[in-house]
Amino acid sequence: MARSAHLAHVLGTLAVSGALALGCVCSQAVTAGTMLRARFKSDIVSTNPGTRRDENTDAVLLHVVEGLVASREDGSPAPMLASRWTVSADGRVYTFTLRPDVVFHNGAPLTAAEVIWSLQRYLKPETRWRCFAEFGEHGIAQVLSITAPDPHTVVIALDRAAPMFLTTLMRADCGGTGILHPDSVDADGQWRAPIGTGPFEMGEWRHNQFIELNRFARYSPLPGARDGNAGGKHALVDHVRFLIIPDSSAARAALIRGSLDVLDNLAASELTGIRGRPDLRLERVPILDCYALLIQTHDPLLSDVRLRKAIALTIDTAGLTKAITWGTGTADNSPIPVASPFYGSVEAPLRQPNLAQARRLLSAAGYDGQAIQLTTSRRDPQMFDAAVVIQAMAAQAGIHLDIDTVDWPAHLSRYTVGTYQLMMQSFSARLDPTLSFGIFIGDKREEPRKVWDTPHSRELLKRTMTSADPAVRQVVFDELTRNFVDEVPAVALFSSSRLSAVRSNVTGYRNWSAAQQRLWGVGLN
Amino acid sequence: MLSYILKRLALTLPTLSLVSIAVFLLIRLIPGDPALVLLGEGADAAALAGLRADLGLDRPLPLQFVSWLQHALRGDLGRSIVSGEPVAGLILQRFGLTAVVVLIAVTAATVIAAIAGLLAAWRRNSVIDLAVVGTATVVLAIPSFWLGLLLLLLFGLKLGWLPFVGYIPFSESALQAMLFLVLPVVTLTITESGVLTRMMRSSSIDVLHLDYVTHARAKGLPERTVLVRHVFPNAFAPTLTLVGLTLGHLLGGIAVIETVFTLPGLGRLMVDSVLARDYPVVQGCLLFTAFVYVLVNLVVDLCYPFFDPRVTAR
Repeated sequence: MARSAHLAHVLGTLAVSGALALGCVCSQAVTAGTMLRARFKSDIVSTNPGTRRDENTDAVLLHVVEGLVASREDGSPAPMLASRWTVSADGRVYTFTLRPDVVFHNGAPLTAAEVIWSLQRYLKPETRWRCFAEFGEHGIAQVLSITAPDPHTVVIALDRAAPMFLTTLMRADCGGTGILHPDSVDADGQWRAPIGTGPFEMGEWRHNQFIELNRFARYSPLPGARDGNAGGKHALVDHVRFLIIPDSSAARAALIRGSLDVLDNLAASELTGIRGRPDLRLERVPILDCYALLIQTHDPLLSDVRLRKAIALTIDTAGLTKAITWGTGTADNSPIPVASPFYGSVEAPLRQPNLAQARRLLSAAGYDGQAIQLTTSRRDPQMFDAAVVIQAMAAQAGIHLDIDTVDWPAHLSRYTVGTYQLMMQSFSARLDPTLSFGIFIGDKREEPRKVWDTPHSRELLKRTMTSADPAVRQVVFDELTRNFVDEVPAVALFSSSRLSAVRSNVTGYRNWSAAQQRLWGVGLN
Repeated sequence: MLSYILKRLALTLPTLSLVSIAVFLLIRLIPGDPALVLLGEGADAAALAGLRADLGLDRPLPLQFVSWLQHALRGDLGRSIVSGEPVAGLILQRFGLTAVVVLIAVTAATVIAAIAGLLAAWRRNSVIDLAVVGTATVVLAIPSFWLGLLLLLLFGLKLGWLPFVGYIPFSESALQAMLFLVLPVVTLTITESGVLTRMMRSSSIDVLHLDYVTHARAKGLPERTVLVRHVFPNAFAPTLTLVGLTLGHLLGGIAVIETVFTLPGLGRLMVDSVLARDYPVVQGCLLFTAFVYVLVNLVVDLCYPFFDPRVTAR
């Protein structure tokens, strides 16, 4: 009996330990008011725009901060905090007129002083701004001065004409060059929290659980409809909560149950069980991303263009795209995505698979079945699936591909230093084709991740940045596309669609070609 | 007893030293650069170099290790590369939730295993035995994530009895917190009860064949008393060893269950940190896990004399 009592004591102790541990979990207040709930697969990285960031971080912070200009859905710049701007005749001086009715989340009015402070902060190396290099020696232009002739005008002088200047400022990965109030940092310059001008202000961030944004009551939206990150931005709910739900099945169940209102970035394979439900609505938007098979053109074997062409000729791009994306993506052999206004008749044709010609090229190149390593990752299931399909297609012509699946950090590391032969890679949405080609073109000695480093391609890329005229740029993009297909530094495969599912009581939700969740203009019935 | 405890605790030092060296080297042997993960694809070389310098990753490995060890000995496990939060605080915060789920689940699984295993052994080759062994085998074969998803779909989605996405701390709403923890706890209980039941049954069968049990029955003791007083304590000792091992590895994180049920526990922290190459957090988590493992097994060893008087803590 005594031993039974001891046992009961031990078990009791375990139970009490559990109860005590229960009390250790910290707490926060419950939110009241209308709340729109969306899902992220992983947590954001920081609240500091354009610095410590990833796509989720950009999406959240673009609800909180705004730049001088913002991107329209077609990728062109639109007014945001600046009501208008002028460019000097030599293209070097930009003069922005600020909107007079804008206030920060702390109630302070927006003036040129905050704009100058924000821009100067971004241009300090220690800020670690994502787009710092764009304004360095090898970037689009160097900033010579930022001045304020009056409290509502900001003048930025560049060292040379830079038609890509506004496009760069509004990039999501640059944090939209969001203008912040200086109280966003402490006296030592250390980051505190974003005090911006957006339709939502930063609420609670409970790490790995949720990020909550609160409607900013004093926000004055621009007139007009929502257009990309520009246009009228109306906060129609009191709170927006981005829930971190890593597991896709759990996220789908949460949507069906009503614990989630918006489920963005669905894989096509996840549509099963969601499609056809009366309480849900599906959204599909073609986006400006690019999936490509990168080829290490400095590899002894793959430096031979005949071998690269042979690999390309084995790939049935249309079939691969249909299989991998479940029919939701669009095959595209040009780096310019189908959703881009610059996608035209030159970009549209697909390379047709031709195994006989591939074999002839392989024979001419002296290929005798050596194994070629194809690096991929499961971070994006489509990357892995595409690698498997490419391996099978290449095998039909006698090309021996070995798939090496690594985790994302290892994949990223190989990509950056160029230590691969073939690599399946996806690139997030780029609003301008210069940025899309910029993925591939560059000097390998300085940027080993670049696959296309011929002097002619680099020269053409520069030319895309010298004119803002779409017609002039289209000519250059077309030439780049033709050369890209001919020289095969990579095989562009497809651009995908953003798939979202929303509950039927959600109004106004629509993703856009930049593949970035926008929850302004979205309400609940 | 005290000297035994102190001796055992002292023996953890070489273990933890080896773990710290192994963890430090192993995480760095895995390809991948934390600065690159943080800045993302297309990061500028100068920015990468600057961030590496900020994080101290540009220094030689021995220097990095000595610096980390010096801080660790003072209880400072550094700051997360990703979030900038102190690692020690992060671990303790996440461990609280994991510990709650694990302790409740393992306690429940132990109780179930003790009763079911003893009963199956007592009625060996009967329908009861068949049912217990069959159920335990099925439970052993079911992956925890699949079981979790099934329970989630049944009780969360179909029946709508329980919430299943997110987590509300106890201090915010005790009732809600309990409701959020029901499914993870039940999943883990079922998963862990299989192996414990098999172990309890096996050791109970061995004990039931021993002479002293026959002697107890011959004395005319009621069967209930024979089982509870004479069979159970001796049969439970090997199961207790397994409970200790189970607790040790589960307290180090139940990443799969935490992922399925969106619980911000230690397992998810560790997995996320490995994927982000967040060296300080991975090192801190593994060191902490090793310490917990050693501690839990010490506690289990100290519990042995309660069940088996032949064992003494010396």
